[in-house]
Order: sequence, then structure tokens, then C-alpha cells
Amino acid sequence: MSLQKSMLVARADLKMAMKVNYVKYGLILIAAIGPVMLILTVLLIALTAPTAAAATLAMIDPLLSPMIGIVAIIPASLISANALVGEREQNTLEPLLCTPLTDRELLLGKLLSSFIPSIALLLGSILITEVCTIFILMYIGSEIVLIPGISSLFLLLTAGPTIILAMVSVMILISGKVKRVYEAYQTSGATVMIFILPMLLPMISMDAGGNVDMNLVWFSNFITLLISAILAIATWALAIGRFNRDKMVSM
Amino acid sequence: MDEVIISGLTKKFDDLTAVDHIELSVPEGSIYGLLGPNGAGKSTTIRLLCTLLRPNEGTAKVGGFDVIESPVQVREITGVLPEEGNHTLYQTMSAYENLEYFGKLYGIPINELHGRIEELLTFMDLWERKDDPAGELSTGNRQRLALCRALLHRPKVLLLDEPTSALDPVAAKRVRELILSLAEKYKQTFFINSHNLSEVQRMCDRIAIIDEGQILISGDTEELRSRLQASENFRIRVVEDQETALSIIKSMNFVTSVDREADSILATIDDPINNNTILLQALLSKGVRIIEFAEEEASLEDLYLDVIKGGVK
Ligand SMILES: Nc1ncnc2c1ncn2[C@@H]1O[C@H](COP(=O)(O)OP(=O)(O)OP(=O)(O)O)[C@@H](O)[C@H]1O
Ligand SMILES: [Mg+2]
Repeated sequence: MSLQKSMLVARADLKMAMKVNYVKYGLILIAAIGPVMLILTVLLIALTAPTAAAATLAMIDPLLSPMIGIVAIIPASLISANALVGEREQNTLEPLLCTPLTDRELLLGKLLSSFIPSIALLLGSILITEVCTIFILMYIGSEIVLIPGISSLFLLLTAGPTIILAMVSVMILISGKVKRVYEAYQTSGATVMIFILPMLLPMISMDAGGNVDMNLVWFSNFITLLISAILAIATWALAIGRFNRDKMVSM
Repeated sequence: MDEVIISGLTKKFDDLTAVDHIELSVPEGSIYGLLGPNGAGKSTTIRLLCTLLRPNEGTAKVGGFDVIESPVQVREITGVLPEEGNHTLYQTMSAYENLEYFGKLYGIPINELHGRIEELLTFMDLWERKDDPAGELSTGNRQRLALCRALLHRPKVLLLDEPTSALDPVAAKRVRELILSLAEKYKQTFFINSHNLSEVQRMCDRIAIIDEGQILISGDTEELRSRLQASENFRIRVVEDQETALSIIKSMNFVTSVDREADSILATIDDPINNNTILLQALLSKGVRIIEFAEEEASLEDLYLDVIKGGVK
């Protein structure tokens, strides 16, 4: 198993995807939904209640910030829908399967080609949100809090990539079953809906009075990470186990 | 030594048996032609040999490696031109990038890669187009690029699915010459699918004819050709007066069939040893000026049609 070979596949895929402007900017646009929503919320709170802004933001952070993680799953599903089904549709899969690449090398390459840009978008979203929040709070002369805060950062940086991994694995898994990219997109839509659920878990930590219990936040973070990890391992194992060259070239 | 050995190879798609217990051996350095009508199982055979498909029964060895047990080794030593190869390139990558990508996947050392790409692209008259996206090349150029991709890592065995199907006659001839020279120079073994009989006849030293997944006949090209009976077909070419010639030929009772081609007449003549003289005299006596009166060589086409129709055994 050679990581170098997988990287070759990933790099070629990325290079090709980035050559198409509507793919490149489309993905950035989708990924931007998360930070834009968060930054607007921060702005709204900062402008309407400047004195209480820091405290309010710190409190709602566990409800607000997972949004970035939820949104980041979508580009991952879109890129990975193309990874194998797209190649099959373009008839380029057959020569690729004729190379000495092993199943694992090929699948890891396809995984990385979706994972790398998705993680880049996720990190970019987090960074932009943090910077804008700090800038807005400084501007109104408020105390500085982080959005995403520490607990949310933990969630986004651990469960985020794990969920993305699971999402990509599911797409690889279904690539032997569907024939067209649009079918893959449809399946990805349904999967995204299921996979965002764990990300919503921190919301249960708010009680009826609107107070957030930080212990509960951390607890739900760990549960989310656990669920994501199980999902990722199970889907990746299935994707590798079920992969069948025979199916990939069948009509 | 036999470079490709196929034994009992069978592939089923649901109830359809696309390849049905075939047996073939391809000697090292030979050019082997697999002929057959549409849907005969030619492409499926190539896909089984390059480990894209897994056989239901039987097996095959390529360069000594078993397609089921050592698929990676088989893929390392084979070069494949898939069916409709011209549609299998990365459209947005340049011609050069397409080859570079595959060169790396096949593990060609980086310091050799550029030289090999330049050599192949130059040979195929594509060097000038190296920076053009593959999707913008003409069909023929794309086909040649796909062929470059199959040859790049200097595989021992080449599996080519209808290599000249998208090429004009001049380009097709160059590819045939290339294949012949490679087989001779590097002892590369070629396994070629085709429905182009005359091409196979000119290029392949051995052929097999496949239909409905079964090999109907296989062997040395010349030997198969000589199995045909001596020809009774003659080509007659005359100056100007084709109509007169035609009516004379038709009037002869020993002429069993007459066909007219662009500039000549094809006649099947019973007992030509005696009757040709009679026909010639008749034509000359009417003042027909003859340019050519020649025996048509028995072609593989006759054999092919006979075999497919279930004639020759
Ligand atoms: N992946 C597949 N799934 C189902 N049936 C298939 C598949 N591939 C081939 N077949 C069927 O198997 C038979 C043999 O097909 P194959 O492509 O090998 O023929 P061929 O000799 O290459 O024909 P052609 O000259 O038209 O290319 C056909 O009936 C075809 O429909
Ligand atoms: Mg075919």
C-alpha cells in the first residue's frame, strides 16, 4: 500500500476539479453559508445589545457554532459524489482501474481528494468566523469571546473531520450502485440529512430557561465525536469491503 | 513461451454468458487478433485479461501471473487500450498531463518520464499538441494519445480493443506499422480485438474467431487462410466498354455469379481451368479491351463469414 500513489490520485482529482470555476466558486459559496450566518448573528447581537454581547455570545456558542460543521458536510458530499461515479460517467475509470493501483490505494486517493478540500473549507470557515467575531467585538469595544468558542472548536476540529470522513465513505460505498452523478447527488442529500444529526446534539444542553450547562455541552460533544467515529469506521470498512471492480465497469 | 494463457475462461452477466469456456494461448512476441461480430465477447475477454472483470469460471495467466491471484502484477505488465479509447482520456488535462499522470501511476521513474512522453508523442505526431486539453483534440488524435498511454510504461503485453477503429486510413496504417515494429523490437506481445478483417489479416500472425462467447476457430493466419478452397473468384477490369463486357460475362452458363464494383467486375467461374479461356476469347472477339483478369486471393473474410455462419469446421 503506497500513500504516494493515493496522493497522486488525490492531486490529479483536485487539480481537475479546481480547473472548473463553477465547481471551485460553487463549493466556496456553499461553505460560506456557515460563517456568513454566524457572523451576521454576532453582528446582530453586537449592534442590538453591545454591553451584553460577550456574555450572550459565550452562552449561545454551543448552539450556534456547530452550524459550520453542518454546512461543511455538504461540499464533502458534492466532491465525493464526483470522485468515482464522475469518473465512471466520463469513461476515465476504466484506464485508471487498469493501472497497478490496488483497491485500497485507489479508494484512499478518492477519499483524500474529497477530504482535503473539505477540511480546507472547514478550517477556512472557522478562521474567518473567529477573525470577524474578534473584529466586531473590538469595534464595539466589548470584551472579546471566541466564536466558535473552545468547546465548539473541539467539536468542529474532531467530530467535523470524522463526519466528513464518514460522508465520503458513504459516497464511495454507493458508487458501485449508482450510475450517474445526479443519482449520487440525490443519495448524498439524504445522507447529509442523517449525518448532521449528531452535530445538533449540543443543542440539548440548553435548558427551558435558555441557560446552557457547559458540562452537558462537553458531554454531548464527546457523544457526537463517538457517534461520528463509529459512523466513519463502519462506513469506511464497508466501502473497502464492498468495493468491487466488477461492479465499477458494469453497465 | 506463451505470454497469455487462457483456460476455461467464463464470464456471465446475469443469464448471459458473454465469454464461454474459452481456451487460447498467445506466444511471446506475437500479434494475436481476436475477431468477432458485435457482442461476441471480445471486449469482455480483454477486460478479464486486464483484471477489470473477475471470471466466473476458469482463469488466465498473463506474463506468468494469474489474473485472479496476482491482479496487481498483471496490471503492472499490461498496457490497455479500452474500447472507444478516445473517450477515456481526462478531457480537461492536457495531452502531456494525461500521460504524466498515468506514467506516475505505473511507477515510471521521474527522470525517465519526460523523455518517454516526448518520444511517444513525437512518434504519434502529437508533440505539437502536447499542451492542448485532450478534450479539444480530434477523435483520431485522442485515439493515438490513448495508445501512447497504453505504451508508456513499456508493458510486456498489450491488450488493444479496436485500436484503429477511430483512425483514418493513413493513421491506421501508422499504428499497424508501430505495432509490428514494437512486436519485433521489444518482443512485446499484442492481443488485439477487431472486426476489421483485412487489418487483422495484414497485421496478426495468429487469429481466433469468437462468436457468442465461444472460440469457433483459432490458429496461424496463413494456415487458416489456406484452409479455404482454391478460389473461383476472378476480377476483370476493362477499358470503357464495361456494359458490353458485363452482358458477355452474364451470358456464360459457367459463370455462377457476377458482381459489379466501381471499376471492375467480379465473377465466380465454375471450373476456371477450362472456362477462363472460353470467357477470354468471347470478350476479345467482341473487341473488349482487358486491363486485368486476375484471381481474387482467398481472404480471411470468406473464412470469417463461413465460420460465423457455421460453415467451415
Ligand atoms: N458489464 C456488462 N453487463 C452486462 N452485460 C454485458 C456487460 N458487458 C458486456 N455485456 C454483454 O456481453 C456480451 C459481449 O459483449 P462484449 O462487449 O464483450 O462484445 P464485443 O465482442 O466487444 O462487441 P463489440 O464488437 O460490439 O464491441 C454482449 O451481449 C454485451 O451486451
Ligand atoms: Mg467490444
